[in-house]
Amino acid sequence: MNEGWRFFLLFFGAALVANILLIRFIALCPFFGVSNSLETSLGMSISVIFVMVMASSVSWVAWNYVLEPLHVGEFLYIPTFILIIAGLVQFVEMVIKKSSPPLYRAMGIYLPLITTNCAVLAAATESVKPGFFTKINIVYHYGFIESVVYTLGVAVGFSLVLIIFAALRERLDMAPVPKYFKGIPIAFITAALFSLAFMGFAGMFSL
Amino acid sequence: MDWSLIWKACIGLAGFGIALGVILAIAAKRFHVDIDPRVEEVLAALPGSNCGACGLAGCEAAAEAVVKGKATVKVCKAGGPEVGVRVGKIMGLDMGEAIPVKAHIHCRGGKSLSPLRAVYQGVNSCRAAQIVVGGGKACPFGCLGLQDCMKICPAKAILFDEEGIRRVNVKKCNGCGLCADTCPRGLIEMVPATATVFARCKSKYTGKKASSLCKVACIGCKKCEKVCPVEAIHVENGFAVIDYDKCTNCGDCAVACPTNTIQLWVANRADPEGGEFIVPEKEKIADPVS
Repeated sequence: MNEGWRFFLLFFGAALVANILLIRFIALCPFFGVSNSLETSLGMSISVIFVMVMASSVSWVAWNYVLEPLHVGEFLYIPTFILIIAGLVQFVEMVIKKSSPPLYRAMGIYLPLITTNCAVLAAATESVKPGFFTKINIVYHYGFIESVVYTLGVAVGFSLVLIIFAALRERLDMAPVPKYFKGIPIAFITAALFSLAFMGFAGMFSL
Repeated sequence: MDWSLIWKACIGLAGFGIALGVILAIAAKRFHVDIDPRVEEVLAALPGSNCGACGLAGCEAAAEAVVKGKATVKVCKAGGPEVGVRVGKIMGLDMGEAIPVKAHIHCRGGKSLSPLRAVYQGVNSCRAAQIVVGGGKACPFGCLGLQDCMKICPAKAILFDEEGIRRVNVKKCNGCGLCADTCPRGLIEMVPATATVFARCKSKYTGKKASSLCKVACIGCKKCEKVCPVEAIHVENGFAVIDYDKCTNCGDCAVACPTNTIQLWVANRADPEGGEFIVPEKEKIADPVS
């Protein structure tokens, strides 16, 4: 398979076909928690893209140069990756606070939230263990670039859905919704329909 | 059992932990940002709901503004005076005792008491009516009754009775003061929640002119001034004003008032509105000795 085409499939597949929110239902808490307004969802999205790519590239290095050579990766990857993500987020927070106060004000409050975000852990885990793409015969083992492209895809997919959903919810607030469906209930129904729509992408990969 | 695997796992994880710990420790020193410790103290004293009622971007921004001197210690409207006092203490200001306030509307001239001179059919807002010709009410100082205060009240504490006059439900009123700011005739005053005596008119007219426009208008007779034992009530600009710093809620002025403009508030927990206004029985209280 052509190299560029493979990267495109990797990115596209991670962002849309196996969308982390709507197809695999990972990280539903920020999906409902931060999607109240377009502004907060934008801040969250930028932070997630940034942290996810950093976390999984460090995780990839840890897996390939420490865990695998020691033959402990199989059972130690979850604690190690959690440790890496938590430490990294703390570090990034400090650096941003010092170097760029405006950026800190924009995404500072979301960084501690992301520490415990399961989507980041999922992306880091899958950047070393390509579960989804082995099934459809695209990738069996990620190199560093592939891992970054894949994580970028996951993060962009997350952001895309979060931002669209936040825009939808802003309009839903003004829509004549029955009393008992106002707020979270109608958001769940919308998310379900949204998810159904995204299942349409699944057919594109059964090559 | 493969013991070496356990050792490797322990060393590997401990290695990661130590490495990250050292990096974070160095980063904490290297990227240390000096912040005024008062900011965090003020932030802790604020409600933390980021409601934005102060006009700043959340409680953190408000705390920063207070410490930098760009906002007063009373910046938090939602928190009320208690939060103001706490913030004041952190900033080294003595605010005295916190007195919760409630809104009070200084007009009781409803449909049957105060005549109309015209029928207002414009935009349904007190401000609009005030701009045009002062609305349909004959009294140029009274409540217009077009609900601007009701619309702005976040606690939905303002309602209106069959007389078409706004009333404050003291049980719901949180003392935010938005209604006092919005009333175009300045009829709403924030009074201490403990107050039970109210002078309920702001008509600048005196004598016959005032009473011809409203049966319960303050005519500026100064009887209340004379009976007040603590000099808390004064007639200024033609209407009685109570100084709640001095008022002892004795109610003598309400008894003396010939037009029943000054009324007593009787708090009642069972009442959905928290109480009601009464006109005191003149004879009984007028001669307390007997």
